[in-house]
Amino acid sequence: MNLYLKLLSGSLRSRMQYKMNFLVSSLSYGLIMAVDFVLLAAILQRFDDVKGWNLYEVGLLYGISSVAITLYRVFGVEIHNFERYMVEGEFDSLLIRPVSPLSLLLTKNLDLSRIGGTAQGVIILVISIIGLRLDSFDRLLLLLYLPVSIASGTVICFSLGLLTATLAFWTQRIKDFQTFTLYAPFNAANYPMNIYPGWLKIIFFTVIPVGFMNYTPVLFILDKGGSIWNLALPPAVALAFLFFALRFWQFGIRHYHSTGS
Amino acid sequence: MIVADQLNKHFKIYETKKGFIGSFTSLVSTKHHVVKAVNDISFNIREGEFVGYIGPNGAGKSTTIKMLSGILHPTGGNIEVAGLSPQKRRKEVARKIGIVFGQRTQLWWDLPLRDSFDILKEMYKVPDAKYQQFLKLYDDLLQIGKFMNTPVRKLSLGQRMRGDLAAAMIHDPDVLFLDEPTIGLDVNAKTSIRSFLKELNTKEKKTILLTTHDMDDIEQLCSRVIVINHGQIVLDGTLEELRRNIGLPSVMEVQYRERPKNVTAKLNGIEKMRWDHDKLVLMYDRSVLSSPSLLQEVTKWGEPVDIQMKEPDIEEVIQKIY
Repeated sequence: MNLYLKLLSGSLRSRMQYKMNFLVSSLSYGLIMAVDFVLLAAILQRFDDVKGWNLYEVGLLYGISSVAITLYRVFGVEIHNFERYMVEGEFDSLLIRPVSPLSLLLTKNLDLSRIGGTAQGVIILVISIIGLRLDSFDRLLLLLYLPVSIASGTVICFSLGLLTATLAFWTQRIKDFQTFTLYAPFNAANYPMNIYPGWLKIIFFTVIPVGFMNYTPVLFILDKGGSIWNLALPPAVALAFLFFALRFWQFGIRHYHSTGS
Repeated sequence: MIVADQLNKHFKIYETKKGFIGSFTSLVSTKHHVVKAVNDISFNIREGEFVGYIGPNGAGKSTTIKMLSGILHPTGGNIEVAGLSPQKRRKEVARKIGIVFGQRTQLWWDLPLRDSFDILKEMYKVPDAKYQQFLKLYDDLLQIGKFMNTPVRKLSLGQRMRGDLAAAMIHDPDVLFLDEPTIGLDVNAKTSIRSFLKELNTKEKKTILLTTHDMDDIEQLCSRVIVINHGQIVLDGTLEELRRNIGLPSVMEVQYRERPKNVTAKLNGIEKMRWDHDKLVLMYDRSVLSSPSLLQEVTKWGEPVDIQMKEPDIEEVIQKIY
């Protein structure tokens, strides 16, 4: 734990050496997210109903999904930019330490400029919960369950990020893959799963299980279907998926080639 | 202390193409050729030995070190470092070895040197008392105290290398792997690092494996030399054996005002003589023939306009073995 704090404070102080860059990137990222939000609101204002889901209900899905992915972007920044370690051969320096390379990666850096996105997601959640006018039992259930849902979503996102990063052991570059394994699925998860064609739904509930983090539990909480099991599934799926991702990561490390010097 | 037994590392080189389609096809394609970076290498380095591991670029030096330190998994063969397999028990081995890559720092680039040490102290769980001892000892040996509070990126190459060496020693490892620790350094920095390494080996009884392109490193430090080329050991023996096999030729290049006609001197100690355009290149053994007496000799042949002394590079030495 001590080591974790030392490493984190080290990486933050490194960051702060370039204050201007930090400020500009936080600001620009916040701006992009704000524009994104305004667009969504505008679209939902026009069609006040998406396959039986109103603005606030969609807002709930959107909030969970965007908080999950931005939390991953804050804490998993080195996983997300993992191809750098392959291309520049920097992965070597992680393997000479008596600590697992994954924990070194997670403590190496925090991308605080993404916190703006998390805050934006939370604001959407708050607006949606107020707008939904649930009865007090459902509201309490929702408030209690939100952290579970967000945590599951973050774990699923992290696992997807790690799986994609592991591909770099073979392909070196992963930026192209991330569009398909992270950005597109999490964008899709901003909206209810029932708007997608069957084959896409299958993908979102199997190989890229983003449907579980928000659609599955919200369906039950908003009395749109499903059973109490819908609440147990998200954390279960997240943990199973994380386990699988970690195994694949270990497998990848054994195939690490390193670069010539 | 360090045992390699029939060590092999084969790389499959796939053709990589650009873009998404490219990365995807390289993921599934089976088109490749195999490069045997390390091909059946065996050696046994005993405790307290100082071994020079030399060979031309791409001979497999770094690949061997990366396997010994647990970074890479061998295609075949066995490794034991301090009695453990670096592949099966990487973390334990990491506590017993120190590694320096001359081309790449292990320090935290944007932080003061002291902070890097503090982080490593936590990582290796070094007790406070030992840590204070370490700081004092290494300030004496490497004079790192002067720039302890300077961010690593602002250090000179020589200072950074001293910092890297100290960082590799923070957990008091028994074995040291040094991959070109003197690369790019000026003469003063090289001298101070060499005397430090000498001290580590003789006083602290550390086992050291060193790769270098600098023949002076080898001459001044190593009691044993392993030469590899194309992934195979060409020579494993003492410095004297290396000298006997190939000599450690010094090189003198002489440019004459007019190209002399009869350069026939058969001075004892001159090993090789050839014309490179209008320059006469002489290789000679300094232990037999002193540079001043060779200088005298070459001025007899004609009127030199320029004379340059060079140390031989590994590439040339390796070529002589064949």
